[in-house]
Formats: sequence, C-alpha cells, structure tokens
Amino acid sequence: MEQVEITKGSDIGLHTQELTLNMGPQHPATHGVLRLFLELDGEVVKRCTPHVGYLHRGIEKLSESRAYPSVMPLTDRLDYISSMINNIGYCIAVERLMGIEPPPRAKYIRTLLAELTRISSHLLWLATHALDIGAMTVFLYCFREREQILGMFEDVIGARLTVSYPRIGGVRCDITDGFLEGVGRFIDEFPSRIVEYETLIDKNRIWLQRTKGIGVISGEEAVRWGLTGATLRGSGINYDVRKKMPYDAYDEIEFDVPLGQNGDVYDRYRCRMEEMRQSVRIIQQCIEKMPKGEVLSKDAPDLDMNPKGHKRLEPEMSLWSANVSFSNEYTTTPKGELYSAVEAPKGELGFYIVSDGTGRPYRMRVRSPSFVHAAAIPRLCQGHMIADVIAVIGTIDIVMGECDR
Amino acid sequence: MTFRDLINKALFIEILKGLALTLKVFLTKPVTIKYPHEKRPVSSGFRGRHAMVRDPQTGKELCVACMKCAMVCPSQCIYIKYTGAEGEPRELTKYEIEAYRCIYCGYCVEVCPMNAIVLTEHYEYASYKRQDNYFDKERLLKNWDEHIKSLKATSYSNKFWKPLGIDIGRLPANKRQAEVELKGLSKDDLSQNIKEA
Repeated sequence: MEQVEITKGSDIGLHTQELTLNMGPQHPATHGVLRLFLELDGEVVKRCTPHVGYLHRGIEKLSESRAYPSVMPLTDRLDYISSMINNIGYCIAVERLMGIEPPPRAKYIRTLLAELTRISSHLLWLATHALDIGAMTVFLYCFREREQILGMFEDVIGARLTVSYPRIGGVRCDITDGFLEGVGRFIDEFPSRIVEYETLIDKNRIWLQRTKGIGVISGEEAVRWGLTGATLRGSGINYDVRKKMPYDAYDEIEFDVPLGQNGDVYDRYRCRMEEMRQSVRIIQQCIEKMPKGEVLSKDAPDLDMNPKGHKRLEPEMSLWSANVSFSNEYTTTPKGELYSAVEAPKGELGFYIVSDGTGRPYRMRVRSPSFVHAAAIPRLCQGHMIADVIAVIGTIDIVMGECDR
Repeated sequence: MTFRDLINKALFIEILKGLALTLKVFLTKPVTIKYPHEKRPVSSGFRGRHAMVRDPQTGKELCVACMKCAMVCPSQCIYIKYTGAEGEPRELTKYEIEAYRCIYCGYCVEVCPMNAIVLTEHYEYASYKRQDNYFDKERLLKNWDEHIKSLKATSYSNKFWKPLGIDIGRLPANKRQAEVELKGLSKDDLSQNIKEA
C-alpha cells in the first residue's frame, strides 16, 4: 500500500507541540480496560505506552489457597471468551503433574469443544475488530452464529460463558448423541457463514485500506517479541502448540496451520479466517472418530480433594464389606515444577505450576498471550496514525481478563 | 492491476456484493428475541439460582452439614454452622449462600452427598434490595418451592446430582438415585400449573 502523505503543521511554519492523550481505560475500542498513553504529533503516534492491571483480580495468588480442582473455575475468568480452552489448559497441566491420563473419549470431547470455543472466540474477535474499523454488519452476523455455539455449551454443562466443563482426569459429564448431531448440523452450515463474512469485508476497499500495511512486523522480530498464535503466524512463522507439542487428541487429527506472509493486520485477519475453517475440519473428524467409553479417569482426584492430597479409594468395596479400613494416607502430588501449554485462540496459553507435594499449587503462573502481546503494541503502532492504533489492538485480539489476571 | 480489477473497482462490485447479501438477510426472519416479552427456553441443568431441596417426607432440608460444599467452593461463599457432638448426627443451624460472590460453577451440587443443594434453572432474580440475594436457609427452601411450582413434572432431577457418564462407583449412595419425587404437589396443583404455563 502506498503511504499517505501527511502535511505537518511544523512543515508550513506553524507552531506545534506534542499532545499526550490517554486512550482508555474506559474506551470502547480498547477491548476492556487497556489504557494506552499516547504521545502524538498531530495524528501520528510518536510513542505509545500500554498500562495494564486495571482488571487484576489476583487469580494466581487465589489459586495458592485452593485445592487443585477448585482452582479450575477461576481459570474461566482468565480469557472469558474462550473459557473452555483455559480450563483444558489448566487441567492438562495438573494431569501432567499428577501423572493422570484421561480416557480417549474425554480427550476427543475436549478437542471438539476446544475447537468450538476457538470458533466462538474468533467470531467475537472478527465481530469487534470489524466494528472497531467500521464494518458494523459483520458484528451482528458473527453474534448470530456465536449464539448457537453458546447454546450448545449450555446444553452440555449448563453455562454459556464460564463453562468449567473439563475436570482433572477427564470431563465433568458426558455428551449425548443428540448434542453431536446438533454440532454436526452447525458445522455443515458454518462454512457458508464464513463465506458471508468474507463477502462483506474481504475485498472491501475501506477494509483493505485500513488493514493492509498496518502493524507490520517481520517473522524474526515477532519471535523476539514473544508473539504467538495467529499474531505470529500472520508473519509466516509456523508455530502452533497443537502441532509442536500435541495434547488431547490433536496428534490423531489432521489439520493445517494457515500462515500469512506480510505480517500486517490483513494477513492476521486471513489467518484467523482460515483457522476457523480448520476448526470445522477438526470438529468433523472428532465427530467421526468419537470413541465410546468412560469420560473420567479412575485415578482422577475427587472434586472435594483434601488440601493435604487426594485419597484413592475403592468405593464399591467399602460399601459392602463392614470391616474395611479407610486409610488416612493421601496420595500426594509429586513435588516439582512443570510448564504446560495449549494453543488458545489468542496464542500460547501456558500454566507453570510449582508443587510442594500438597493438594494445592505452591505457585501458579499463567503465561497469557494477551499480556505478551500487549507489550508489542508500541512496536506495532510505530509511526501509524491514531486510528490505526484501534486496528492494531483488534489484530492482536487482546482480552484484559487474561492480560491482568 | 489487470483490466478486470479496474472494472471491479470502477463499478464497486465488491460493495454491491456486500449490499446484496445484507438485502438478502434483511428479508429473512429476525433471529433476535424481544426478551422481557419473549423468553428463550433454558436447557435442563442450567446453573441458575440456588435452592435447597425440601424433603417431601419431613418438610425440612436434606443437608447433613458435612461441609463438603463449603470446602470445595472456589469463591468461598457458603457459610455453615451446626451443633452436635462428635459421633452424633449434626444439626444444621445456619446455611447461607452469598449469591453475589457465587461464580456458579456447580461444584457444591456435584459434591453434595445428599443431593441437598441445587442450582435451579431459574435465572431472573435481580432485585432492588441487596439483602434479597443473601440466601439463608429459609430463603433457599423457599427458592426450591418456587422452582418446583414452575415445573410441569412429578419428579425433578439435576444434571449435577448424577453427572452423565461418570462411573457409578465414584458416587456416594444417595447420588446413585438422583431424582426427587415432588410429592408435595397434588394433582390439582399440577394440572393448574400446566394450564398456567
């Protein structure tokens, strides 16, 4: 794209001075409570400093005083748009720590629902990103489909947004065949919906002018900033946790990782649109391959796990034999440290858990993609106009719940 | 730029295509619901307002004050007090839920060995008074009465009392048969409920 020539006041002999401007924390286009401190020369951004922490709830600290299963509902509130993947990421981290293997059906259910969540998250991203840039119709269409996905979550677990569906060692309840049919119907229809969104904005000249050549970052530099997810893949770097460190059923499922070339807002938009198509592919395979059987591992700790550790009982035995002795020994969690990552819609979501052998995490650190991406906003805004800051915030798909934790 | 692109650009083809789509959608049936007048049906097992199950035989709550729900609660919004010596049945003296702090994860319903507590499908309980959503024991029982009054069945079961697909060996004895007979309701009440609905 050709750069627009901007006539500055100082060039024609007028007195000018830099303007400092606070964008946010109550700005509708900053996707929550992100505050950007902008230093402007006319309309051009000279410097940009993100201030985070307005949505800090101390989830990492809270988790230190709760047993492992009780931490899981807190992870819903990290990235509240894709709560299912947050739950799954946490559960996988704890499963790896405790050495529990979930049954195959649970793995497939998780994969299926994780991809549904990815679609719903990308739909919300597309809706708000397009709305910020000025395409209002897409916003309404995306919410139409997102509503169907939320309805499906409600059928499975009784909550639409903060699902708390997985459980350490499996999932909390099984899905029905009727649910799978419903997902199948949605998936059959959904690709035509993606085409609708693309009809509206893909070649639209306003959209192209607002997105092409904006927020350009090279692949090498993106890696150095620690960008992950579609924000990184838009620059042509092939890194996807689902491929590089497969979890759940991703190693048994075929899918491609869409890549961009130019690393601008438009390429990242294309990446995410293709990712939705790939998610549809994954869900189709999950429905076809869905195994029968249990959904919760026998080794899984109970929900009311004691903070000292978890007990492993043989419940059928203890009911019928009168002289069974309940052992008071707890199977403790192994001591040590562990990092485990999943591919959230925004990027690599990692959980770093330090265990001291009790039933509570000694320390839990969340490596949230939004926090890392927020640091790169000044780099992406460099030399752009103030309206492009909005496009940049949209393109990294920031969620402040996850950024501030 | 090819000739074709030039024509597309000059004739606003991509914009016309978009407008054609919006016109098509404009002529279809709206997907929105006019909420207070129209309500969308809630799935069974929706995690809504709390209630304590009233035992149809005794007319009291089923809770045995085992404290499991208070222990597992991630937001620690359940307050329980009981009397009774060690080895004797406990008597519940206080059971309170602070609904403003609750995060509706449904853990309390899932761990309760007596199926005494439930998150009902009722979701409209906003109130002008803050006090209304601090649920004490009487209020929780009243919530249950209100909930079963709105039902059109003779028995009620919750998804989290006996989660689908979970090995029955993991569940305590009372949770294996997870259904409450709504005996308090006479047949006349029931038919009236159905008529009203």
